[in-house]
Amino acid sequence: MDLPFIKVENISYSYKGDGGVGVPVIKELSLEIREGEFVAVLGHNGSGKSTLAKLLNMIFSPQSGKIYIDGKDITAPDMTDDDVFALRKTVGMVFQNPDNQLVATIVEDDVAFGPENLSVPSEEIRKRVDEALRAVGMTKYAHHEPHRLSGGQKQRVAIAGIIAMLPKCIIFDESTAMLDPIGRREVMQTIKMLNEKMGITVIMITHYMDEAAMAGRIVVLDEGRIALDGKPSEVFEREELLRSMGLDVPQCAAIIHRLREAGVALKGDCTTPEKCAELIGRALGGEGRDV
Amino acid sequence: MSEISVENVSFFHGKGTPYEIKALDGVTLNIVPNTITGIIGHTGSGKSTLVELFNGILKPAEGRVLLDGADIWAKPKEIRNVRFRVGLVMQYPESQLFEETIRQDIAFGPRNMGLSEQEIEERVIEAAGFVGLGKDMLDKSPFDLSGGQKRRAAIAGIIAMRPDVLILDEPAAGLDPAGREAIFSNIMEYRKNSGSTVVIVSHSMEDMARYCDRVMVMSEGKLIMNGTRDEVFSKPERLAEAGLDIPQITKLMLLLRERGIEVDTGVYTSERAYEELIRLFKKDTAQSR
Amino acid sequence: MKNIALGQYYPAKSPLHRLDPRIKVLLALIYICAAAFCKNIIGFGVLLVSALLIVALGRIPFKTIFRSLTPVLFVMLFAVFFQVFFTKGDMLLFAWWKLQIYGEGLYLALFTIVRIFTLIIGTSMFLTYTTTPIELTYAIEDLLSPLKKLKVPVHDFAMMMTLALRFIPTLVEEADKIMTAQKARGADFSTGSLVQRAKALKPVLIPLIVSAMRHAVELAVAMECRCYHGDGTRMVVRKCRFSDIAALIVMIIFLAGIIYLNILGLVYTA
Repeated sequence: MDLPFIKVENISYSYKGDGGVGVPVIKELSLEIREGEFVAVLGHNGSGKSTLAKLLNMIFSPQSGKIYIDGKDITAPDMTDDDVFALRKTVGMVFQNPDNQLVATIVEDDVAFGPENLSVPSEEIRKRVDEALRAVGMTKYAHHEPHRLSGGQKQRVAIAGIIAMLPKCIIFDESTAMLDPIGRREVMQTIKMLNEKMGITVIMITHYMDEAAMAGRIVVLDEGRIALDGKPSEVFEREELLRSMGLDVPQCAAIIHRLREAGVALKGDCTTPEKCAELIGRALGGEGRDV
Repeated sequence: MSEISVENVSFFHGKGTPYEIKALDGVTLNIVPNTITGIIGHTGSGKSTLVELFNGILKPAEGRVLLDGADIWAKPKEIRNVRFRVGLVMQYPESQLFEETIRQDIAFGPRNMGLSEQEIEERVIEAAGFVGLGKDMLDKSPFDLSGGQKRRAAIAGIIAMRPDVLILDEPAAGLDPAGREAIFSNIMEYRKNSGSTVVIVSHSMEDMARYCDRVMVMSEGKLIMNGTRDEVFSKPERLAEAGLDIPQITKLMLLLRERGIEVDTGVYTSERAYEELIRLFKKDTAQSR
Repeated sequence: MKNIALGQYYPAKSPLHRLDPRIKVLLALIYICAAAFCKNIIGFGVLLVSALLIVALGRIPFKTIFRSLTPVLFVMLFAVFFQVFFTKGDMLLFAWWKLQIYGEGLYLALFTIVRIFTLIIGTSMFLTYTTTPIELTYAIEDLLSPLKKLKVPVHDFAMMMTLALRFIPTLVEEADKIMTAQKARGADFSTGSLVQRAKALKPVLIPLIVSAMRHAVELAVAMECRCYHGDGTRMVVRKCRFSDIAALIVMIIFLAGIIYLNILGLVYTA
């Protein structure tokens, strides 16, 4: 059987609300993600996007449906503890609050935490820690205390802690939500690097439209179902639909849409200011006009 | 109408320790009454320190903070009265909720002011109304609310003190687009109805461009720009120099200028940008005919 | 507030700092025994000299040491007071009304001071000043590791200690923020009676507990995601070096010497 890296088949999940009544969060959702993809997951609060992330990492288990990751059925009843560890080693997760994922009082000890738990030999841990810190540009801070770092730096240390487990895929669960613009930029650059240079599959849950625009593919969740799935340029075309789901489009894309509605012929991707400037420039006859 | 002004203020964090940092360095400014003033700057630029000086949480090491021309530290024992007049909503204010019900929590500030029970009740209902929390919500535990509702309940706790100046530090941090929209429309509504002065501290240039009348830019403990929103955003180069993001729209305009297209780079809202561009396209079609 | 020192680790490069933390725990234990067993007048002299020697080896300024002694000064004075005035012996030195001071009392008071002093020097020099809290945690885990065979969750205990150390600064910072937020609502923490002040802490304590719980829940999930299961390898494997073993042997000889002096006589007990 030729399976994609992640295959989610018709899963449903509800949590127990007041008085034990099940509140459905994920409803018969199916999704496929190939190895090496960079997928952004958008949705308003309560759309089920964080739940989906936790299902992929076996923090929750779906009540029905199947999830295959890296060729293995993780919803099978015969999953052992070792299978769970193997899954979490393959699919790492970075959370929203940087403070709540750092466990050690020294940066490099924290990065070593995952490999130590996986009983990796000591010399190998040392090597992985150094490489992971270098990859996220935090080598200089190896001996610092985490609580003295900035938010962006803490998140990069958290990412290094996951990289040191040599995952194939990393899920970012609103990992930039608590950061300032500099921290967000640092983390987004790191995420892009993971995907492009290290070939790690990235699933990024966010509610920043400009971040989603950097992904190769956007999946929009609404009420526990997939509402849209496509390239950023395709998804941001659907401004009306996105707004009706409590989401937004990047401001530039919104302007291009209005210009198009007013009859201006602008063809192409308009997800970033750079791309918009190119479209408008070409149409208006600045440099690089189509003649 | 109360006016806050700050004269030549400096402040140090961790004074006397090896970690001493000069957080503010000779800042002089005044908050124009009846406006919405935005304060922007990086983490560590001193903007949060600045607003904590406005309401007397912190005391300046040098210089004076004035409220209606009077030094707020003239009578240190009465500093609480300053805090009632200058309401400060801190970052992630939902972390301050502690009472059993929303009603009691919102009442905490007014009760500290020593108001009568009747007056307190009146203010609680009014403040809850401003942030869109209905009467049916008031008897719920704050810990049963959603993230956005908690945030709004916490803001109501400050509004209930009926401050002359309302300061909000990153009021929309961590909320989704719909939540951001809701918080800001509440604040705008509140300002319109109460007529009070509002100060918003934010990282988001887009929010500043959309909601603020005046903008102040902080960098490394100094005030580097101060003016109307048009004045500040008409100099995007200076914002970029301070290492700040510029509004996405301004960025688009700058990129177009780089391509040799004559656009107004002082444009920072979607509406104006659209008008500017449609004007150019009409001119373009007229010329090519 | 963000810059509180945990424990009192004093960063420096000294022979004591370089010793294996496990050895330092043992050294501290033996040294405490020596101070406790000593009953000999020469022994006390030796203890005093050794304490000063250890301070010199750790390269900690005497000013820092004396600052850490101030909290126990009261205990010392109290002990001295009792022993000076309430010890009866043969050598009456001073008598006035009901007060009698004997030579034995003075001796005992002096010995008590030396004993408390050496106890504090021993623990602080070997443990808090020259060993980081995290090293200490690892050392205790290693020393207790034989208990793992008895199914005592030694690793989990060590993890708990580490997490406590990791989160103290975070929680202190949060307490600070919550206090500021409540002050902005007119809370008053600095005036009023003791009861009023204790009551005024409710608006700080409840949010702090709620927040600590949230930290704990999220942290547990994050640790599960990093495959925590209460066991594993260690990145840094400490190996005892020659100097470590040598220090241990010297300390054992020291203890033996103190006990030997006791046997020799010149013993003063009450």
